[in-house]
Amino acid sequence: MEEEVKPRIYTVAQINGLIKSEVENNPYLSSIWISGEVYNLTYHSSGHIYFTLKDDASSISAVFFKYANKNLKFKLEDGMKILVFGGITVFEKRGSYQLNVLSARPDGAGELQKRIEQLKKKLGDEGLFDPSRKRKLPFLPARLGIVTSPTGAAVRDIIKVALRRYSNIEIIIAPAKVQGDDAAATIAAAIKELNKPQWNIDVIIAGRGGGSFEDLMPFNEEVVIRAFAESRVPIISAVGHQIDHPLSDDAADVAAPTPSAAAELAVPVKTDLINEIEYLKTRMSNSLTNNYQSYKTALKNLITKKIFRDPYEILNSRQMLLADAENRMINQMKHRVASEREKLLRLPDIYRLQKKFLVQKKHDLELLIQNLNNLSPLNIMSRGYSVVLDRSRKLIKSVDKLKQGDTVEIKFADGAAEAVISSVIKEN
Amino acid sequence: MEKDKKMNTKTTFEDALQDLEEVADKLEGGELGLDDSIKEFEKGIKLARYCQQKLEEAERKIEILQKGADGEVKPGRVAVKPDTGEIEDEEDLQGSLI
Repeated sequence: MEEEVKPRIYTVAQINGLIKSEVENNPYLSSIWISGEVYNLTYHSSGHIYFTLKDDASSISAVFFKYANKNLKFKLEDGMKILVFGGITVFEKRGSYQLNVLSARPDGAGELQKRIEQLKKKLGDEGLFDPSRKRKLPFLPARLGIVTSPTGAAVRDIIKVALRRYSNIEIIIAPAKVQGDDAAATIAAAIKELNKPQWNIDVIIAGRGGGSFEDLMPFNEEVVIRAFAESRVPIISAVGHQIDHPLSDDAADVAAPTPSAAAELAVPVKTDLINEIEYLKTRMSNSLTNNYQSYKTALKNLITKKIFRDPYEILNSRQMLLADAENRMINQMKHRVASEREKLLRLPDIYRLQKKFLVQKKHDLELLIQNLNNLSPLNIMSRGYSVVLDRSRKLIKSVDKLKQGDTVEIKFADGAAEAVISSVIKEN
Repeated sequence: MEKDKKMNTKTTFEDALQDLEEVADKLEGGELGLDDSIKEFEKGIKLARYCQQKLEEAERKIEILQKGADGEVKPGRVAVKPDTGEIEDEEDLQGSLI
């Protein structure tokens, strides 16, 4: 007998309800770890984050509610590979399901790289990587500081290279851990310690030997980058690496690809410096010798000059000049006298007038002498008069001056006679 | 003649070496009189001596900082082989400042 079996008919809602119940009560689907890449990422203004988690083959919608994402340590980005923990929830009305994310963390090296990029941008914006901050390393460091693991190869390489280059250099090691959770903190502390003035460090090398990308992570930690950037002492980042350099390279004054290379950058080769000094000394003494020789030659050339060989030569020529000058002077004087005389001779009128004046004066004088002659007593006496002089040859002009018995002298024009006064007769 | 920069213990090796180079250049320039050449030469010799002295100033010594029980950081000696620079006693190298 054939009986038609009537199929049971469900409503859409019933099916979705059933699926929701099955899925959400399934312990495997309600608390699971899933890895995938983030796509169609939306940070909603409500604080919820929506994205699609996908891998090469498939994709699933995901929601990261505000209550769950408020402790998220990093920023999700499109394309980021993450590991999420959560459960599947079904949206009955639409018949769709989604991943309800309770926590998330970066997954793998690619994600570390993204975190580094984020940190690089943040610290770069603060100016920590500005080329202008980078200082020149000291030319001749007396004390070299090393920050690295005391047990690793790096410290040994640095010591060997430094001592080979500069046998009497002083080295201070500040030990740190270069891997593990507290590595970053110990590296930062060691850099800070070496910056204390008491250690008197001239240059610091901080780093480690090569390792995997994850091994180098401490040198990408913010606390380490900041210690590099804040170092008062010039600092070299010396992290062995193949491709991607750690951020400490960007914050340091100088970046070296390996610890050994850092030691070569920090420490000069002493013998090179000694040779350089010797070379400069040789250059100096050669120059001085050359200089001396050239002066000697110049002096020799000088003393063979005519003036030194025959000094009278120049004297002779000077004497000739002098004689010539003397001649010219005499000639000039002669010429001057002649011309002055000429000028005098060219004044005949004055000369004649002067002569006439003199003749006149001579005539006047002759007349005057004639008059004087007429007035002379001798002239009068020649006409018969005589004069009487007393004993002192004074002229006697009055009889009052005479008395009887006086001897007098009577002067005539042609002679004299002595007489004695016999009597004096006074007339009125 | 310009006044010489006074040399003192603060003068860096690099500055002194640079001055020394300048002296050598000046002497080679041949512009100096004999007296000045001798003065420059004497200055150069002084600089060279100063540089050589600076090179010997550091005294080879390797130390590692250790944090003591009292929290104070002190340096400890690290012995190395004089010829190779290798660590003599691995016990010397250990510790952390935290």
